Amino acid sequence: MFAAATGWLEKCAADIDALNVFPVPDGDTGTNMLLTMRSSLEEASRTTDSSGASEVAQAMARGALIGARGNSGVILSQIWNGLAQGIEGKKTITGSDLVNGLLQASKVAYKGLSNPVEGTILTVMREAAEAAKAHADSSGDDVVSVLEVTVNAAKESVANTPSLLPVLMEAGVVDAGGEGLYIIFEGALHYLKGEVEQLKLRKPWLVASSVPLAAKAPQMVGVAAMPEVPYGYCTNFVIKGQGLDPDKLREKLAKRGQSVIVIGNDSAVRVHIHTLDPGEIMHYVVSQGTLHEINIRNMDEQYRDFLRMQKERMPEVDIAIVAVVVGEGLSGVFTSLGTTAIVPGGQTMNPSTKDLLQAVEAVPSEKVVILPNNKNIVLTAGQVQSLTKKTVKVVPAKTIPQGVAALLAFDYEADLETNVQNMEAAISAVKSIEVTRAIRSTRLGGFDIKKKQAIGFLDGDLVAVSDKPEDALSEVLARLNLDEAEVITIYSGADTTPADTEQLGALVREKYPKLQVEVIQGGQSHYNYIVSVE
Amino acid sequence: MAVKIVTDSLGDLPSGVAKELGITVVPLNVHFGTQTFRDGIDLTAERFYEKLASSKILPTTTVPPSSVFVGTYDKLAEETDEIVVITFSHKLGASYATAVEAKGLMKRKCRLEVVDSRWAAMAQGLIVIAAAKAAQGGAKLDEVVGLTRRNIPRADVRMVFDTLEYLSRGGRIGKAHTFLSSVLRVNPVLGIRDGEVYPFAREHSRTKAIDYLYHFATGFSRIEGMAVEDATTPDEADALAKRLGSKFPEVTIYRTKVGPVVGAHVGPHVLAVSVLGDKR
Repeated sequence: MFAAATGWLEKCAADIDALNVFPVPDGDTGTNMLLTMRSSLEEASRTTDSSGASEVAQAMARGALIGARGNSGVILSQIWNGLAQGIEGKKTITGSDLVNGLLQASKVAYKGLSNPVEGTILTVMREAAEAAKAHADSSGDDVVSVLEVTVNAAKESVANTPSLLPVLMEAGVVDAGGEGLYIIFEGALHYLKGEVEQLKLRKPWLVASSVPLAAKAPQMVGVAAMPEVPYGYCTNFVIKGQGLDPDKLREKLAKRGQSVIVIGNDSAVRVHIHTLDPGEIMHYVVSQGTLHEINIRNMDEQYRDFLRMQKERMPEVDIAIVAVVVGEGLSGVFTSLGTTAIVPGGQTMNPSTKDLLQAVEAVPSEKVVILPNNKNIVLTAGQVQSLTKKTVKVVPAKTIPQGVAALLAFDYEADLETNVQNMEAAISAVKSIEVTRAIRSTRLGGFDIKKKQAIGFLDGDLVAVSDKPEDALSEVLARLNLDEAEVITIYSGADTTPADTEQLGALVREKYPKLQVEVIQGGQSHYNYIVSVE
Repeated sequence: MAVKIVTDSLGDLPSGVAKELGITVVPLNVHFGTQTFRDGIDLTAERFYEKLASSKILPTTTVPPSSVFVGTYDKLAEETDEIVVITFSHKLGASYATAVEAKGLMKRKCRLEVVDSRWAAMAQGLIVIAAAKAAQGGAKLDEVVGLTRRNIPRADVRMVFDTLEYLSRGGRIGKAHTFLSSVLRVNPVLGIRDGEVYPFAREHSRTKAIDYLYHFATGFSRIEGMAVEDATTPDEADALAKRLGSKFPEVTIYRTKVGPVVGAHVGPHVLAVSVLGDKR
């Protein structure tokens, strides 16, 4: 059963690693728990078939104690230790035995830490055990149903960890250790229910935070947000000897460091401590017995590794881009080209300064470029600069084609100033054509325009009037010198039928065979066609 | 005895250059289904792209077993007592690991050093050429290795794609996966950074993308070598090489082909510029 759980955990160990955000900057919780589980299993596999549940649990606890890695592994080993105590003497276990085991596991796990923190694996263990007890008290003794309740409670508890632990909230993740524990329970449940196929073919679904993600990326978790000193040495070792006293040792060590975990019995004690002076710790404990499996790691390095790993997993959002776009297709174009946030809006639906400000505040970056993509939004966008602490630059794209050109010119490598320059230069290199229908009859720019006639704009100037939008577009294209052009992109509006669009595309291709013509369902309102010529 | 230089065929070295400089190229294998070809030996670049266009199955590539490296080492060890092996980036395939493994299996006694170039294509090729020239000039193993290691951060490459499909299917897309989803048809410009494929820019038109390559190359000074590679568009590459040639009349510009193994991962229509020099 626990072999199945370990296999289940293995499938997502890397994902759990990625979740790791303090309080302990190990960055490898999933791996640590997996290795601890493996060590448990090795020990358990030495028991014989005739061994009862109690013996197996004790063997697992032994294996975990010896093989515990990292903070989470150590706590996990305490959980097995408690479980073994809770079911001591039982050959087979009932639902209520399991409940006893889980309650004891929770108790022992809390006891192992000098300063238990809620919102971690401890909370998940405790809440799962409590739910299991409530279920067994009310609805009976079936092991599977007790475990099922345990799994569900663990899942809920995991999802809730960010509301208990501010660093998790800040980082927008759930507690990694709690997640690991939930996965182990779930794997065991799958096995008990005989869902072998599931174990083999599927991958665990990680629980996501039930708390809305704070709009901050993990790499922005600052030193100030951490509940403990993030430097010093992560020190781990095992003391072997006679007449050891884990409780007394824990008390002594608590004064000499942080994140102190001391577990074990009178002959072997495992210690995990964060300290500025590992020498002092070693000097003290060597008088207690012989030292084994000594592992001292510099947490500054761990922290740097952690940040680097987080950064590698995240899209690079040193500079975020906020764009004002309307239409599903156009939004897709902008998103696929790396826009961080889209504010819906455009012609006749100008977003407010507040809308833009909210988007700017929400993106996980201190530097933000706004692409207004409409001449009536450029000024509004400019207002945002004085309302936020973030550095905001408005690249004055007045049309969708200009916005796309600017976006393509964005360089992840370059700084904000260079990017703004490049993007502004790109804007001037593209021609924008917009075709819409006149909302009233008028006389403008030498044209007599009747209501509902199609009118074509070239870079904002009215240059063509026709009954059909397609004809108006052809007229505008005809005014351009396309010798230097290479790419024509046609974005069709929400009111334009795909058939009309296709026909237009074919026509343009035929007329300008040397050009690369691309037709995209932009889905914008108001404009039948928006066209870029580059 | 002169140091002998060995590399793998991912370096896209022109065969004439390899011969002239005495470089031994270990070919990788290209597989079309059950058919296997040795890169550059049984399959030229031209023939490969023809097959790529007509074949229904996508080609795959493999690094030859260590025995092939061992055979190469032992043969060279008959004529020299110092060998330097320069492989493509270990993050892109197993050449480096296999070359190192083979070192332990050599029968003949010979000093041998394997260096991970951290590049591929002619960015690797230019490093290999520099090493071979040093070896010809009488440099000993340690000097050649030292020079090679100094040259690694001085090399760079950019490639213009018109599709990332091959790179994506072959599983070598690295961080350029962020460029995969574009709704618009754009020309991605990729390169290699820290040994992995890395996205650098997207250009709406091919001409602009080629301009990007030009400006990339002109951003270097003290240039020791430059290469322009094409897969299926020799005219474009010729024009770019000519343009760069008039900017850098004193620099040797190798005008080569993206070989079959690289081609299997990047697809047709790729255009690449590699430079060995100092970035301004």
